[in-house]
Amino acid sequence: MKTIADTWPIVKGDYTVGNPRSRIAVVTLASQINPSPEVALWGSSKTENLGVEKIIVNTISNSNIRYILICGMESRGHLAGNSLLSIHTNGIDKKGRIIGSEGAIPFIENISREAVKRFQQQVVLLDRIGLTDLTEIMKIVRKYKDRGEVYPEEPLVAISQKKRQSTFTLPRSGDIIVSEEFVMDSAAGIVCPTKDF
Amino acid sequence: MFKFQKEQEIVNIAGVKIGGQPGELPTVLAGTIFYDKHEIVKDVARGLFDRAAAEKLINLQEASAEETGNPHIIHIFGTTPESITRYIDFVAEISEAPFLIDSPEGNVRSHAAEYVSEIGLADKAIYNSINMSINGSEIEALALSDIDSSIILGFNATDSSLQGRMEMLETGAGLLEEGLLSIADRCGIINKLIDPSMTPMGNGAGVALRMTITAKAKWGHPTGSGIHNAPSAWNWLNKKKETDPVLYKICDVGSTCLQQAAAGDFILYGPIEYAPYVFPMAAMSDIMISEAVADLDIEPASRHPVNLLV
Repeated sequence: MKTIADTWPIVKGDYTVGNPRSRIAVVTLASQINPSPEVALWGSSKTENLGVEKIIVNTISNSNIRYILICGMESRGHLAGNSLLSIHTNGIDKKGRIIGSEGAIPFIENISREAVKRFQQQVVLLDRIGLTDLTEIMKIVRKYKDRGEVYPEEPLVAISQKKRQSTFTLPRSGDIIVSEEFVMDSAAGIVCPTKDF
Repeated sequence: MFKFQKEQEIVNIAGVKIGGQPGELPTVLAGTIFYDKHEIVKDVARGLFDRAAAEKLINLQEASAEETGNPHIIHIFGTTPESITRYIDFVAEISEAPFLIDSPEGNVRSHAAEYVSEIGLADKAIYNSINMSINGSEIEALALSDIDSSIILGFNATDSSLQGRMEMLETGAGLLEEGLLSIADRCGIINKLIDPSMTPMGNGAGVALRMTITAKAKWGHPTGSGIHNAPSAWNWLNKKKETDPVLYKICDVGSTCLQQAAAGDFILYGPIEYAPYVFPMAAMSDIMISEAVADLDIEPASRHPVNLLV
C-alpha cells in the first residue's frame, strides 16, 4: 500500500521534513525549536485557521504519521494549539467553525469534513503545550517515532482547488475613470470602453 | 492610473488626513513599535522597555515623515492590559501623532479603548481592529469608549475571495448577524479605515489589492493594509533571509508600492526601524501616481511628496 502522497508535503509552510516514515510529527506552535531528523515533519503553527488546515493536509497525506506532539508556546489570541486539539476532539460545525476552540477566528476554509474525520482517526495528539525543552521533546519523539502501525488507508490529498473561475457575468460598464476612452468595473476588475459606461 | 467615480472620503484623525482620490493625499504610513520579539521590549507582559531606544525610533519615523511629507501614525502593539497601558502613556508623551491600538486579544483592545477614553486621548487613537472575531463584550467596550476611528478588517476565514471579504463588511457573510460596517456604526465609529486583510501569498494576498480598489469604489472610505505581512509570511523569502537579509528587506519595503498602486491610502508597514526606507519608497510611488492622474482633475496636497521632493 502506498503510504505517502507523491508530492508530500502537500502544502508549503514553516516546517522541516525529517524522516517521512517516522510515526511522529512535531508542532512547535509560536516557538522556534531546532528540528530533529527523526521526525516526519517539524515546524511552527501560529494561526487558528490556516495553520490548522496546513497541519491536517500534510498529516493525512502521509499515512505513516500516527502521533503529533504539540509543544512550544501558544500564540496569544490565536491559540493555534488549542484550536488543533479542538478540531481533533470536536470537529467543525456547519459554518466551518472549529467546535470548542478559544482562538480568535477558528474557521476552516479549504478542507472538507472528510479530511477532518480522517485526521481525527489517523493521529493521536500529544498535548504538551508550553513545553520548550528540547531534551524533553526528544524523549517524547524517541518514544513514539516507531510506535504502532501505518494507518491502514492510502494517503488522502485534501485541499480544494484555487478559485480561479469567474463567478459573475462580465460587466460592460465601470465605476472608475481610467481615461476619456476607458472606465473600469472595480468589482470585476475589467477595463471597458466608456461608450458602455 | 485612474479616478474613482464615487466621492472619496477624507478623514482627519488628530491632524492626519487619510483617503481621497489616488494622487490627492500622500500615503499615510504606520510603523509598528513594541511588536512581537521587538528587541527594545524587556518584559512583554508588563510592558517594560528601553525608553531611550523607543524614543529614538519614534523620532526616526517623525523625521522621515517630515522629510517626505507622508504623514505618520504610530502602531502600538501590546499583548496585555498592563503593557499596552504603558505603551500608550509613553507614545502620547513623546509624540503628537495619532496611534493605532493593536492586540491579538479582544480584552486587551477593549482595555485600551477604555483607557484612552479615561485619559482624554481617544481622539488620537485608532482601534485595530473591528474584525470577525468581535464579540458582545468588545462591542460594548468600544461603544462605551470615546474612540471614533477604527480599522475594519475584511478577513473572512471561510471565504477569502473578493466576494467573501466584501460580504464580511456588508452583511457578516453568514458568519455574523450583521456586517462589520454596521457593527462599526453601532460602536460609534465615524472614521472607518477599511483593511482588506493581507493574508499570506498562496492564501489570497493579491485579493486584498483588488479589494482595496473595490472597497473604495463601493464605499469611498479610506482603505489600506499591512501589505508587508505578505512577504514577511513568505517561507521561501524567510529562508533566503538567512543568507541575504537585504533581499528580504527589499521585498518587505518594496511591497509598499503595490498597495499604493492599488489605490491604498494608508499602509501599516511593519517594524518602525524601516522608516528611513519605507518613507522614500512610498514618496516615490506617491509622486508617480500623482503625475499619472494629473489630467484627471486631481490636485495633490501642498505637502504631497510631488510638491516637496521634485
